[in-house]
Amino acid sequence: MPRTQTTSSELGSEALLEAAEAIVAHAMGAPGVADAEARVALTVNSFCRFADVGPTQSAERARLDVDLRLRTKGPGGSGGGLHEASVSGQSLDLEAIEALVARGRELADVSPALDEPVPFGGAIQGDRSKLRGRPDAATVAHDGAAKAPVIDAAVRRCEEAGLMPAGLFDTTGVAKALANSAGRSVHFEGTRAGFSLTASERDGNAIGGAGWNEGVANRVGDLDPEAIARIACEKAAPGVARGSVEPGEYTVVLEPSAVSSLLLFASYVGFGAKDVAERSSFLCDRIGERLFREDLCIRDRWNHPLYQVCGFDGEGTPTRALALLEKGALTGPVTNRLYAHKTQGDPDQSTGHCIAGSAGPRPQALSIDAGDQSREALIAGVERGLLVTQFHYTNLIDPRDMLLTGMTRNGLFLIENGEITRPLTNLRFTQGLVAALQNVAGIGDDLDVAGALFDGEVIVPSLRIDGFRFTSATDF
Amino acid sequence: MQNEHQLAAQAVESAERLGASYADARFVEVEQEDLALHNGVLDRSSLQEERGLGVRVLVDGAWGFAAAAGDEESAPEELAKRATDAARALAAARRKPVELAPGDAPGGGLESGEWRTPVGEDPFALSLADKVGFLQDVDRAMQGQPGDEAIVARDVTLGLRRERQHFVASGGVQQYQELVRSGAGLSATAAKDGAVETRSYPASFGGNYRSAGFEFVRSLGLEEHGARVVSEALQLCEAPVCPAGERDLILMGNQLMLQIHESVGHPNELDRVFGHEVDLAGDSFATTDKLGGFQYGSEIVNLVADSTVDGGLDTRGWDDDGIRSDAFHVVENGVFKGYHTSREWAGAIGEAKSRATNRAEGWYNPPIIRITNLSLMPGTWTLDDLIADTEDGVLCDTVKMWSIDQRRLNFQFTTELGWEIKDGKRVRMVRRPTYQGSTPEFWKSCDAICDADHFTLWGVPNCGKGNPMQVAEMSHGAAPARFRKQTFVV
Repeated sequence: MPRTQTTSSELGSEALLEAAEAIVAHAMGAPGVADAEARVALTVNSFCRFADVGPTQSAERARLDVDLRLRTKGPGGSGGGLHEASVSGQSLDLEAIEALVARGRELADVSPALDEPVPFGGAIQGDRSKLRGRPDAATVAHDGAAKAPVIDAAVRRCEEAGLMPAGLFDTTGVAKALANSAGRSVHFEGTRAGFSLTASERDGNAIGGAGWNEGVANRVGDLDPEAIARIACEKAAPGVARGSVEPGEYTVVLEPSAVSSLLLFASYVGFGAKDVAERSSFLCDRIGERLFREDLCIRDRWNHPLYQVCGFDGEGTPTRALALLEKGALTGPVTNRLYAHKTQGDPDQSTGHCIAGSAGPRPQALSIDAGDQSREALIAGVERGLLVTQFHYTNLIDPRDMLLTGMTRNGLFLIENGEITRPLTNLRFTQGLVAALQNVAGIGDDLDVAGALFDGEVIVPSLRIDGFRFTSATDF
Repeated sequence: MQNEHQLAAQAVESAERLGASYADARFVEVEQEDLALHNGVLDRSSLQEERGLGVRVLVDGAWGFAAAAGDEESAPEELAKRATDAARALAAARRKPVELAPGDAPGGGLESGEWRTPVGEDPFALSLADKVGFLQDVDRAMQGQPGDEAIVARDVTLGLRRERQHFVASGGVQQYQELVRSGAGLSATAAKDGAVETRSYPASFGGNYRSAGFEFVRSLGLEEHGARVVSEALQLCEAPVCPAGERDLILMGNQLMLQIHESVGHPNELDRVFGHEVDLAGDSFATTDKLGGFQYGSEIVNLVADSTVDGGLDTRGWDDDGIRSDAFHVVENGVFKGYHTSREWAGAIGEAKSRATNRAEGWYNPPIIRITNLSLMPGTWTLDDLIADTEDGVLCDTVKMWSIDQRRLNFQFTTELGWEIKDGKRVRMVRRPTYQGSTPEFWKSCDAICDADHFTLWGVPNCGKGNPMQVAEMSHGAAPARFRKQTFVV
């Protein structure tokens, strides 16, 4: 029995795999069950938030999640088709597993028969060892006591700069295992560490400008909180009056954390085969058309050298590292087993992008290849334009052109004659992602792991984009 | 129930023994059924159960929290130790100790008791076969419409949740709550000539939700709206995009509720105001110097926060500080009057008592200030009269997209459908109506609100806040209202 509370650096994915296999065996012994697939995941997380008063909130926590997908032959076992259901629990006790199987059978039996009962994926051929991940013991064991001095130093740095800090120091270890009745069994262990800081000008709760920076890595030791605090304080540009510019079209240099806000939406909606099949993807009518510059390459790459995530998907299929935009053209969507069957007639051609419980396949680790221009060179090529640190609350207006809107935040700067001349008050953009990618005029060499307000992270460089449309402004 | 309370009580006792000046523990059990038909097939459907213990402690003026799934006997002691160890280590970096406002029971403590959502038809007593059959009946109502070969997606969703909370706090406090919510909705997506448009009922993103039993789901009358939803999705694909310009805006309740949420609810959370949420979710323009005198809206704008209102998704006995639910004005006759607070934050604005709005998602998270049920009080108009009184406007129906800046001032919202109004009449359907504005100016432009007969409580089951993000539920009541001279953009 794997532990559900962890006080050491071990995650124990092999024990989770044994548990998943036992659940499958148990389910297959139940009347009427034709197929079963179990996923078991352990998440161990420690976080500490902080602000001007120092640490404001912390947690040391662990959760075990058990998901069971099973298929039955229908009520009485003679329904003439296969019926599928998913159920979830948080215990590996025999009694709990029996209850889970019973609930799954009950729901499957009353569900409509599957139109296309694509078989579960079988045993993985070849070397599975690369799927097992590279967890960092120090990250798993990193607790509140280890975070306290780092936070204290970051707060002090802001105090010295006359700025108010607010941030998060977060470390997570994840172990996952999947087994099914077709003989598939895979397991993974991985870690993530993140440190972010916003430094704001404040007098009481009157608010001035703010700067921000974040680091994300697989190993807590690879973070550089001191540099993050320094950059955030510099971005805040304390004491410098902010200018303003009118909304309109500008050449922009988007730093990686701004690029991420745009690209992440292509992973939520667009790059998946279901989106294409339902005509709601920007890929529709564009696949293969040479619309973009030759050196702009978007990939889904779970094993990126800068940051690695789990190498198999929600069906246990090894995730293929794919180019989704290369040589100037969009290449095609990612699939799961169902959409590989629908589009290619063979579920085993799945690209390994099933997100369990989601509406369809999705990229899991989007990245843009680095270019050869430094951030400074990107800026130097702009006669009059804007440097954008980050976008806030980006959201999707229309999926076919990936029309997005959002606000700049935490550092918008005017570029004149190739130099940053002053910080600016913020602007709202309303811009199609497809058009923005068509207007890429420069690609940076500064790859970074970056997230956004909503879920997920991408690995992207800074981009210079011409004709980026801003539609309104704020006075802060 | 006895066992769960005992585990929570043991955790509090252990934490106090280990040096906590205050401790509380929540053992939470959740049952959730999310059933969805996508094009007639059960999709994204799951039955979920979870139970776990979260322990929160205050040691040397710093918070600690630890949580684990299950009900192992060793969990209370182990979690109490982990939480107190972390708090003690972090206290060294605190600049100022946490101070809690007194509780609301006599003597400054917290009361003990039990509270349950009133439920007519227990949604968990209904068989899964009946629930799936219900979804199939609704799905059939969307089929067989003229032109429906362009319908690429039919979705029917049903969401049911029961949460049992066993709360124990320092001072021997024991509270038990059983919270039940039910909701459902339908939508159709059409794709035609390069346009993709979705129409939903009664609201987008899963429909409407209440703290209630299955009787609420039945009351929605989903089947009656199937054909209309399909027809409107098809019409939208051929409708012109809503043109840019300045016109009056009439918001239906299922869009106005999001306007309330984003431009009044979030900026009103006191932890945001003091910058503690700025690193992810942002802060607030509604700073404390504005409290009591700032003109937030026109004189007819009254916004009331109420965690006691019938059917609200945040209607409960107590918040996760153990404070009894309450009601208060956030905006009264247009003037900014109150913040959402917690025991930790009430003192920051000189208030003696928390507003009972500190909540956590499940057992896995420590509580933070959350919007409670927050509603725009009804006015005196009928919708027909409001339309008849509008010379040049757009009626916007059902949330499609929202975005607002980090201080909750500059917003841009798009709805699923718009109706152009000319000289008091609906003249044509427009797609993707998108309006943009700034919060106080927007609310000050409100000159008409429909009456109580048009008022509906809209549930928000997916509000994200915190870092790492937590999901909370609340409701916003609204009747259609008019906002003069708003800016539409393309």
